[in-house]
Amino acid sequence: MRHRWRRHATGLAFTAPALVILAAFLLYPIGYSLWLSLHEWDGYTPRWGAFVGLENYRTLAGDEVFWKATLNSIVFVVVRTPLEVAVGFLLAILLNRRLAARSLLRTLFFVPVVMSLIVVTLIFQRVYEPNTGLLNTLLHGIGLGAWAHAWLGDPVTALPAVIAVSVWKNVGFSLVILLAGLQSLPQDVLDAARVDGAGAWQLILRVITPLMRPILALTALLSIIGGLKVFDLIFIMTRGGPTYSTEVLATMLYREAFEQNHMGVASAIAVILVTLVLSIARLQALVLRESKEAGAA
Amino acid sequence: MSTVVDARAVARSRRVILRRVLVGRGVVWAVLLGAVAVSLAPGLYMVALSLMDNPQLFAGRLVPRPPHPENYPRAWVASNIGRLYWNSIYVSTVSMVLTVAISALAGYGLGRIRFVGRGLVYGLVLVGLTIPVQIALIPLFINLRTLGLINTPLALIGPYTAFGLAFGTYVMTGFFRGLPRELDEAARLDGAGDLQIFARVMLPLTRPALATVAIFVFLQNWNEFLFALTFLTESRMRTLPTGIYALLSSEFYGNYPILAASLVLFSVPVLVLYFLFQQQFIEGLTAGAVKN
Repeated sequence: MRHRWRRHATGLAFTAPALVILAAFLLYPIGYSLWLSLHEWDGYTPRWGAFVGLENYRTLAGDEVFWKATLNSIVFVVVRTPLEVAVGFLLAILLNRRLAARSLLRTLFFVPVVMSLIVVTLIFQRVYEPNTGLLNTLLHGIGLGAWAHAWLGDPVTALPAVIAVSVWKNVGFSLVILLAGLQSLPQDVLDAARVDGAGAWQLILRVITPLMRPILALTALLSIIGGLKVFDLIFIMTRGGPTYSTEVLATMLYREAFEQNHMGVASAIAVILVTLVLSIARLQALVLRESKEAGAA
Repeated sequence: MSTVVDARAVARSRRVILRRVLVGRGVVWAVLLGAVAVSLAPGLYMVALSLMDNPQLFAGRLVPRPPHPENYPRAWVASNIGRLYWNSIYVSTVSMVLTVAISALAGYGLGRIRFVGRGLVYGLVLVGLTIPVQIALIPLFINLRTLGLINTPLALIGPYTAFGLAFGTYVMTGFFRGLPRELDEAARLDGAGDLQIFARVMLPLTRPALATVAIFVFLQNWNEFLFALTFLTESRMRTLPTGIYALLSSEFYGNYPILAASLVLFSVPVLVLYFLFQQQFIEGLTAGAVKN
């Protein structure tokens, strides 16, 4: 009996520092944001303003910019994730063979993942620059000068341009996860398919892709969650503009809080963002469980 | 007669197969090299720009001729980058050490000891892994301001330690759980307590996991932008990402080569570390996903 108490106490003692910090920097802010999202406050008067119930959420529901930001967040994810996973998968398949340079290539593909977002963003701002930027210079160089464009200045192309940067930065991440997955596939199944005369394409489409489904799903979910959190990239590159064409939930949150001084509304956005991400993470847990069961079967 | 035809046919089909293999290999290499070029081109473009002067830049050049290496000392002074380096190294390292130490302790507790509330603590860690840090932005800003900690290193060390902690604890728990049971049984028979088992027996074995956590967390701290932007407003306190961001609105706005040189100076330490410890970097950054 005493022995058991001692075990509980020891366990708690080892985890106590982590628990205290997570409570202070995670649980407390969640509660704080929830409660603040039900109030009106400019962030400067010493006390919070009036309790307004769900008024901040109602304000958001009637705000065109909020819907624009939500739509952009969804478009960002819906376009980015399939590209990231597909390109990463293609490169992983090409790399998954006995190549002398395999590990060197993997290292080079991973460089953008390691680079800081502010560096990446400022480079690409320059790449997209309308007059002397790399992209338009190259287009002129190969005789496609007519396609040259103010990529970030045009509301139609700004979001795709930002998404392209995000895909460029993260493909290496998908690639590494998917390559690890490919290398853990049961070799005998692949050999059997080859003996049965499956060609390269058949092997990829009929055998490898179905076996990789759980890992592909996991990669996609990680990309979706990462995509919903995107802030630095858009904030530095376009500040959400032109005319909100690249505004996403995280940039709107920042603007509402620190430029408009609408702390209540900003907190409501934070709550919505968290709800969205945690529901998708829940989905991830379900997919993982399914894949584990499939693996066990 | 028929054997001759057969031999010819075999030779021909061999040639066809060989050609197909070679073409296939050529396509694979073309795709891979093209993709590597796309991965590296923007970085190389940045280096090229950092060695140009404005006339070359506005002429849309790709190669700096003649090169202007003096951009680097100018960038060093313009962005006060020595100060930024020091701030970044200080904040990133202190937070990393705290995160690693606390997650090692928590990982041992969660991975080796069955105690009441273990599931709850682990659940909190899992939530911390996925939750957008933006949820903490406003509450932390307000509380840090009340405590008078805005524009102090603590304003970042606290949050950075916390935001690395979920990942660190997750990785360490998995690692401790995987260590053989006989280890602590043997040590316990020798009369060792939990603290001794943790520090003397287990911790030395977890070095690879500690390295993974350290690298991941350091890189995350080194690159962090949103909290640094919000909690540090005085230029002498800024870390590298926000310090370089501030260049955009300084007198050097429009002098892109100087900005590019600052970006290179910012990236070099991390890239050097990356090429030295690539295996650990890649494992560290994908550990959250692959360990599953």
